[in-house]
Amino acid sequence: MIGILKGLATTMKHALDGKTFTVKYPEEAPEVSPRFRGVHKYSQERCIWCRQCENVCPNDTIQIVMDDQRNGEQYNLHVGQCIYCRLCEEVCPTDAIVLTQNFEFTGDTKDDLAYNKEQLKNVPWYKDIDPLESREPDRGSWVGEGEGEVDYQ
Amino acid sequence: MIVPGAMSLTDRFLELLGLDPSTAGPLLVFGVSILAAGLVGSFVLLNTAFAGPYAKRKITASFTDRISVNRIGPAGIGTIVVDSVRLLSKELIIPEDADRPAYDLAPIVLAGSALLAFAVIPMGSGIQLADPEIGLAYVFAIASIASLGLLMAGYASNNKYSFLGGLRAVAQNIAYEIPLVLTGASVVIFAGTLQLGNVTTPDTIVGAQQATLFTIGSISIPSWFGFINPFAFALFMAANLAEVGRNPFDIPEAPTEIVAGYQTEYSSVYFVLFYLGEFIHIFLGGAIIATLFLGGPAGPVLPGIVWFTIKIWGVFLLTQWARSAVPRVRIDQLIQIGWKGMLVLSLANLLLTAVIVGVIA
Amino acid sequence: MSLQERTPSEPDVGVTEDGLDYDELEALLEGRVLDREEHVNAEGFVIRPDEVEDVLSTLKEEAGFDHCSAVTAQEYDDRFESIYHLKKYDDPTQELSVVVPTSKDEPVSQSAAGVYDTADWHEREAYDLVGINYEDHPDLRRILLPETWQGHPLSERYNQTQPQVVPLREHANPLEEDHRGSGDDSDTMFVNIGPHHPATHGVLHVKTVLDGEQIVDLDPDIGYLHRSEEQMCQQGTYRHQIMPYPDRWDYSPGGLLNEWAYARAAEDLADIDVPEYAQVLRTMSAELTRIAAHMLAVGTFGLDLYGDFTVIFMYAVRDREVVQNLLEDLTGQRLMFNYFRLGGVAWDLPEPRDEYLEKIRDFLDELPDRLEEYHNLISGNEIFQMRAVDTGILQPETAKSYGATGPVARGSGVDYDLRRDDPYGYYDELDWDVVTEDGCDNYARLLVRMQEVEESAKIIKQCVDLLEDWPEDDREIQSNVPRTLRPDPDKEIYRAVEGAKGELGIYIRSDGTDKPARFKIRSPCFSNLQTLPVMSEGEYIPDMVASLGSLDIVLGEVDR
Repeated sequence: MIGILKGLATTMKHALDGKTFTVKYPEEAPEVSPRFRGVHKYSQERCIWCRQCENVCPNDTIQIVMDDQRNGEQYNLHVGQCIYCRLCEEVCPTDAIVLTQNFEFTGDTKDDLAYNKEQLKNVPWYKDIDPLESREPDRGSWVGEGEGEVDYQ
Repeated sequence: MIVPGAMSLTDRFLELLGLDPSTAGPLLVFGVSILAAGLVGSFVLLNTAFAGPYAKRKITASFTDRISVNRIGPAGIGTIVVDSVRLLSKELIIPEDADRPAYDLAPIVLAGSALLAFAVIPMGSGIQLADPEIGLAYVFAIASIASLGLLMAGYASNNKYSFLGGLRAVAQNIAYEIPLVLTGASVVIFAGTLQLGNVTTPDTIVGAQQATLFTIGSISIPSWFGFINPFAFALFMAANLAEVGRNPFDIPEAPTEIVAGYQTEYSSVYFVLFYLGEFIHIFLGGAIIATLFLGGPAGPVLPGIVWFTIKIWGVFLLTQWARSAVPRVRIDQLIQIGWKGMLVLSLANLLLTAVIVGVIA
Repeated sequence: MSLQERTPSEPDVGVTEDGLDYDELEALLEGRVLDREEHVNAEGFVIRPDEVEDVLSTLKEEAGFDHCSAVTAQEYDDRFESIYHLKKYDDPTQELSVVVPTSKDEPVSQSAAGVYDTADWHEREAYDLVGINYEDHPDLRRILLPETWQGHPLSERYNQTQPQVVPLREHANPLEEDHRGSGDDSDTMFVNIGPHHPATHGVLHVKTVLDGEQIVDLDPDIGYLHRSEEQMCQQGTYRHQIMPYPDRWDYSPGGLLNEWAYARAAEDLADIDVPEYAQVLRTMSAELTRIAAHMLAVGTFGLDLYGDFTVIFMYAVRDREVVQNLLEDLTGQRLMFNYFRLGGVAWDLPEPRDEYLEKIRDFLDELPDRLEEYHNLISGNEIFQMRAVDTGILQPETAKSYGATGPVARGSGVDYDLRRDDPYGYYDELDWDVVTEDGCDNYARLLVRMQEVEESAKIIKQCVDLLEDWPEDDREIQSNVPRTLRPDPDKEIYRAVEGAKGELGIYIRSDGTDKPARFKIRSPCFSNLQTLPVMSEGEYIPDMVASLGSLDIVLGEVDR
């Protein structure tokens, strides 16, 4: 009986202290950590069309189309299929593709979520945070320069 | 001994219309009675409507540190309307092999039985449809028809979960109906009558509770049966939890075990009726507890109807509290508690009360 | 309760002070070993397919290999092969692989289900995915794929383009009269619990035969969430592409613990060192994950016993949310972390470091109060004890035979924790205890989880202290790893870590390319779930639900 009463007391304590854990979203937007991985943003000025992101992507989310002179034509990214592993950003030598903190996006159909170059460029920063700033201290860490027989691809 | 019942709501209405209740024509009395019944029913449904889609969520949310409904209207109160429209406009899906008349009747039986029982409950401020001599017996008899509705629903749905739920509901209701009635009987022994009566009729259950038990300084404690016999009160509260099927006794529904029990196959309007029926039952439980143990609608300063509402909401709050903090017992444990524990305790309580009342008398 | 059924007076065959003497083990098997293979973790004894039961029972009885971790099946160009990964509960570093090759034309191999109960499901999976037939298997049906599936997807002959469309009439009609159990006129009732049911923790289907409310027979039907995780890993490169996927096996979240399983196996396979600093980071973040996973387990177990309006679930989720915020700051995601890399981790602590470590400390300081609340609400509650004590009994011997690990085994008094017994990461440098309970029931398993949260907190606290004082010029989070990893061909390894649910093992065979030739996941939930029938038969439905909750399965990991 004492255990039951203790349980009742614990719940009543929570009811009376009036604190809530949930927030009134979207009026109260959640704090997203600087490292959070959301939708991609793409910069054509930076991109050198090396196709490393396309290669590393674990589930073929990124599709790059080039003409026969190896000039980039299309950069398509299916954000509905993306697993937000951030490998594309890690391998990108020029920071041309970064994952913003923006997680608020919708699409009525799956096709709406297949972003092309222009759509990717227009992805807004979340609360104006440029993720590169916060990630900069650690950016050197993602790949070591191996000794001896190292394949630099 | 025949006690003249308190003035019924119908009579009051007739008086308001300037007619003499004793001479009014039967058709007129009937019409006015319907009006009065509508008023009482509306009052109950109003409480239920507030409790079901709104208060219940808010109460549970406050226990779990959440905000809960807050979008429509101030503090989300408009959810009641929105939810009603949503539930009523959903598609009514009836299983192919459902046992039709029984399947359709079950929700009505459940909701109806609880509503009917309110006919004799004194709600204060003169709101009481009738005050028969056998008031308490009527309440218990009518309220327990609900388990028939649950069995019908469970059987007629042609679903194994519903079937299990229906059987559980009946097993549970029988096991707890008896302690409930026996504990209620101890109150009857105190009061010496089955008539629920009113604050103004001293020889009835409610009336008998209006005397002063003792006074501390200037505060006089009324002789509510809950104060006279707190043991019976606790017993009745526990049995009532089982009767309305709330934790720790929400076994007939037990969502994590048998999906939703007897109401698994009900949707749309039928589901609303079930939902309403359950809440009316909780409020009926509260009303019975208020009437038997908490002095009915009596209370200082505020009018009776307000006190009555406060009391039934207190009981409702308790059921929700138990729901968030007390685990569910297993069906065999439930039956054991019912037959081996509650029944024995309530019999002991009855005998003890009888002896004490006999000695005093 | 004594857990040592065998008297420890005479040591098991082959045990020497510096590890296993495989020659002695070979001698024990009296010429039944055809060949010996070198695997990275242990030696492999190649035996004839018709002597499996014989060899395994000898090894179990006389050499003390009482734990069959997993059964890996694979196809080579010239043969099919089943590998039984054997271990000991007393000392999991003593490993032995029993390799059973069978011919390509007629892949028949003797079943080991008579020796290890756990082999039942593992062999069914091997049959289902690879297509090896196990002779004398008690119930050789498909397990992950539907009964109607054509072909065995991991075999070379499998036709990927063949449509697997099955007309409705070929499926069993779920509505027809069904009184399986005992005879046609029995009083039993067959109920499908799941795949859509509030208490199955996902898409689990439990075929249940009821006598009244009591369970006569029970058969968990899994595979509804089968996502070809093994094959997906076989198509990814070691270096980058595999790591995001382990997060998705046990998403409760066991993410980092799962990543560690892959990281450990692949690092040992390719001889990659991990800097000490990264090991501390790994240990800390993995234990944070464990707390989050156990919180969810405790919360959902409460949900199973309380009903849908309980507060305990919300409180547990609220506290788990705090952990997830910490993990988000560190890894960048709340569930699908992708934080580990081969040879290290992706990121150092977020700047400012002190602030972050302070946040973790705050969480740890509050934790005892939170746990006190849990104890008030669940473990201390009399009705809860009525429900959980002495229900879902799993005897230690049964648990071992079914290969149960993690809190399920420790709740049955089996003192088995890979963090201590087969140390990796930074665990052996830290001061913490393995929690065991002797109750063998649902309550014991719950208590184990709640105490493990405390132990994890202890570990995290020590890691935080270490990280705070770590010299600034020595904060190496990643060792040198080539951008393309090509382990030597035909290297095989089975390595396990202590995941949130138990022993999470990975078997990898390399073939000289940058992708694994065979990637097998030994899921703890898969083995643990096998014990459900043992726990629940004869009990009431609510107890079965409670047992299922206390097993804490994540269907994503069961079905993979």
